[in-house]
Amino acid sequence: MARLVVLGGGVAGHTTATFAAKWLGSAHEVVVVTPNAKWNWIPSNIWVGVGEMTKEEVTFDLAPVYAKAGITYKQAKAVSLNPEGNESSDKSFVSIEYTGQDKTGTIENLEYDYIVNATGPKLNFDATPGLGDGKGQMGNHTVSVCTADHAVHASHKLQEAIEKMKGGTRQKFLIGTGHGMCTCQGAAFEYIFNIENELRKAGVRDMADIKWISNESFLGDFGMGGIHMKVGGYVVSSKLFAESLYAERNIEWLIGAHTSKVENGKVEYELLDGSKGEEEFDFAMLIPPFAGVGIKAFAKDGSDITGTVFAPNGFMKVDANYGAGAYENWKASDWPRTYQNPTYSNMFAAGIAFAPPHLISKPMSSPNGTPINPTPPRTGMPSGIIGKAVAHSVCDLITKGDSAHLHEASMAEMGAACVASAGKGVFSGTAAAMTVYPVVPDFETFPGTGRDTDYTFGEIGLAGHWIKHILHFLFIYKAKLNPGWTLIPE
Amino acid sequence: MIREIIQYPTPLSLEFGVNVRQFNEELFALIEDLKDTINENNLEALSAFQIGNYKNVIVVKKEDGTFLELINPSLIAHSGKITTDEKTSYYGDVSAEITRFEKVSIVYQDRDAKDCSLQAEGDLAVVLQRKIDYLFGATFIQKMSADERDKFESKLKYGTDVGMSDYCPTTFFRDKILKAINILMIFMLIVVVGSFFVKEDAILQTLWKYQSYGLIGTFLLHIVYLFYAQYEGKKYVSCSSCQIGNIIGTTVISLIKFTLLSIASYFIIYSSM
Repeated sequence: MARLVVLGGGVAGHTTATFAAKWLGSAHEVVVVTPNAKWNWIPSNIWVGVGEMTKEEVTFDLAPVYAKAGITYKQAKAVSLNPEGNESSDKSFVSIEYTGQDKTGTIENLEYDYIVNATGPKLNFDATPGLGDGKGQMGNHTVSVCTADHAVHASHKLQEAIEKMKGGTRQKFLIGTGHGMCTCQGAAFEYIFNIENELRKAGVRDMADIKWISNESFLGDFGMGGIHMKVGGYVVSSKLFAESLYAERNIEWLIGAHTSKVENGKVEYELLDGSKGEEEFDFAMLIPPFAGVGIKAFAKDGSDITGTVFAPNGFMKVDANYGAGAYENWKASDWPRTYQNPTYSNMFAAGIAFAPPHLISKPMSSPNGTPINPTPPRTGMPSGIIGKAVAHSVCDLITKGDSAHLHEASMAEMGAACVASAGKGVFSGTAAAMTVYPVVPDFETFPGTGRDTDYTFGEIGLAGHWIKHILHFLFIYKAKLNPGWTLIPE
Repeated sequence: MIREIIQYPTPLSLEFGVNVRQFNEELFALIEDLKDTINENNLEALSAFQIGNYKNVIVVKKEDGTFLELINPSLIAHSGKITTDEKTSYYGDVSAEITRFEKVSIVYQDRDAKDCSLQAEGDLAVVLQRKIDYLFGATFIQKMSADERDKFESKLKYGTDVGMSDYCPTTFFRDKILKAINILMIFMLIVVVGSFFVKEDAILQTLWKYQSYGLIGTFLLHIVYLFYAQYEGKKYVSCSSCQIGNIIGTTVISLIKFTLLSIASYFIIYSSM
């Protein structure tokens, strides 16, 4: 009987664990180690962040779902990996520290035959002074929508701001990215338009100044180089579309910006042209940069091999080409296909937890040397697809032996869809539905932008808004393993 | 080499600006072509897109006759608004009032791939904004207000749609198939309702006979619709793949109506014979 340990219960981890449990049946054991008691459909946190949804609507308890699927669930966080075992045993193990299940703080060494690292990112608030509290958590100057709890907090702050505006005090809203190396601009984009929509609904839009600040190199970049969109029968670039949308909704913007410091009611920033400036705010939602969760790795003799297993940013090394060099040399084939660790073949990484070989966007930095560019987005769809491929590979390795063929899923060969919506009503909302293929540009197959323009497209309208609603219910249904869950695509 | 500038009514491509990755002879030749074309046509600036090249390259002729070469330019900050009467070589002599940012901050690379930046205001800011828009496949038409756009459209011989290369049409032939299906189903519904008032078996039998032909025909039309609509959708690259979902959805809804009609026909006409 083999044991597969999955670290993390987000989109990638949950997909890996549930499919592996289904394919392996009761003959082998699947263990999920996640510090969270609840599963969270993150895209809908935007609606929680403006008070249109409750936390309960976007989360559910993991324990009953894992019990139903026959998965051993340990509410704990991974601390360190011993892929070669220790001096007393050759068996690989992971040290975990419980965060719940009445065993908080207890350390356990969990042996494994295979391990999938799908921890997702650490929200690295402390990368920007003042954005974090210095202890790894969000500071108290800004809000975030990265977790359901953050989103609930954000909605309370928004309500306070609305009350102040009703009382006659003008409020300045600053939304965007909190560092020059952030990803997830789409979430902030969605949030700023939801805020704008809420303020109009509350009748206080004229009392608010709203400003966008981000590390994109052009407005409408969304961290993926922009796309063409269809708007009411016309085809227009996402840059022109975004510019007119911001102008129409009277939202100011600043891009190519690295938020260098956050204080109470004020951010300092540096632009790509080297200039520095300040922006005041009453309400700010700034997305933090991502980093690996900081798992250590040790060799059999106890020596630290973290640098062998993980990249400097804390994400796990996989079968990617980390030596691609300068921008002009980047190729689609640099991107990983099997997500297997090159040193330890029983170790895989899925979702945000794997170390990308390099950026997707063109690397840029200010004259002072500060890098300011979006980092590779790894949204739910690629994470789910990668998670399923890794589950397939591990199941084959367990059932067919070490010579089994590994399943492949390269981000340079898969598309991604995303829906950014403003407003939540059935008839009042509007949304941009976007598809990108491939996620990582393939300059050899598609000379020019590196993308297939037939499948890299966006559309604006009410229908996109409905799709966002449908996705919300569909993915929570799937994650709860309700009947027919395997038929719902990633 | 002097290159031909793409002009209305030739549609602009749906491609969009590609970041220059290799700073080589090919790039330098493109810059020289842009300079030659600017001089020949006495222009103030040109983006590579205007001569059919999709690289993010803009060349501006300064007042002293020297050239400003901007590779991978990007507008990062702005302030103020300014409305001027603009012309662009794509639309020849037709001008329009466009509102743009008065001051802009632009980052770009020079021919040695060195990161540079510039602050521009007034006329230069306007020209740079217009040229950067070209790199995204847009002319100043996308910057116009609805009123200005209508006014501008009336000055153009073929309207503005012509400038949209291979735009996604709003009416399709497949809609006619759907209309035929709907008309057929309305007729069959009338037959079902009408059969309530018929007592003679012979007439009911005739009605049932035609109703069955109608039902079979409608079902076949659904299949034709499903396949033809997908074929038609794929002909236009600018129509998003969302339409495939729309087509399937429309077919399913129509088939539900069809099933209800078939059941009603069977139980009301056939059973009463």
